[in-house]
Amino acid sequence: MKRYIAYSAILGLVWCFVHGTVNVNNFVLGVIIAPFIIRPFKTLFPFDQDFSFVNAIKKIPAQITFLYVLIKEIIKANVMVAKIVLQPKIDIKPGIIAVPIDSKTDLGITAIANTITLTPGTLTIDVSDDRSILYVHAIDATDPEGVAQSIKDDLEKYTMEAFE
Amino acid sequence: MALEMLSNGILIIGLFFVFLAMLGLARLPDVYNRLHATTKIGTLGAFSVMLSILLKVGFSPMGVKAITVALFILITSPVAAHMISRAAHRHGVGLCKESVIDEYGKACSAACSVDEDE
Repeated sequence: MKRYIAYSAILGLVWCFVHGTVNVNNFVLGVIIAPFIIRPFKTLFPFDQDFSFVNAIKKIPAQITFLYVLIKEIIKANVMVAKIVLQPKIDIKPGIIAVPIDSKTDLGITAIANTITLTPGTLTIDVSDDRSILYVHAIDATDPEGVAQSIKDDLEKYTMEAFE
Repeated sequence: MALEMLSNGILIIGLFFVFLAMLGLARLPDVYNRLHATTKIGTLGAFSVMLSILLKVGFSPMGVKAITVALFILITSPVAAHMISRAAHRHGVGLCKESVIDEYGKACSAACSVDEDE
């Protein structure tokens, strides 16, 4: 029930933004319609677990830190790929490497996978069946351990705090 | 006036990055490297264009919709890249000859041989 309320509030806000005018009328309309949207997709969300508003609010500072790190990394990634593309002769050593991860929940794994794709030189291809290894395509794969270590230190710390 | 100039500046930066993404699509050697160019640079390029619309029209309905589109692109483009690369690898699209390592291919072939035995 608490999950219905939280997700309805989020979907109501999304409806306001999609409609283009953010006001109370639109928000209430969104919140009223939201449960009918959530119901068919119920299996996609962890409805069987407990949910508390306090925990969700406590995570907001960590999520803002994560957003800041993400924007910084996206700009770094763009400059890096731009440099590679503008080189007169393209000289890269790409490869697919296996990166072990600590995230356990669906949301955590999705967050770390999407973050890896948006950060410099790496692209998530698949997650292993037992959900402990991500297969990552790196544009510079001469040092697989170094790439795995940098993902663990620079990114997973923040996603673990923000989404688990 | 300053806002107008800032908006135009961001628009030009965004279009330059989109141009670089298309250049990368043409120049890089295989599917996976091309996805690097289109997802990373394409995301920032589209994001900048949407941001410049927001700065030009302010928080009118059009500007709010533009920033919504930008956020949805930020969420969905990594998922699209993941699905395209996974589908390509499963259909046997190989890596380019410069590649140095393929641990996914090893894991996949191990799993596939088990499937064939059954």
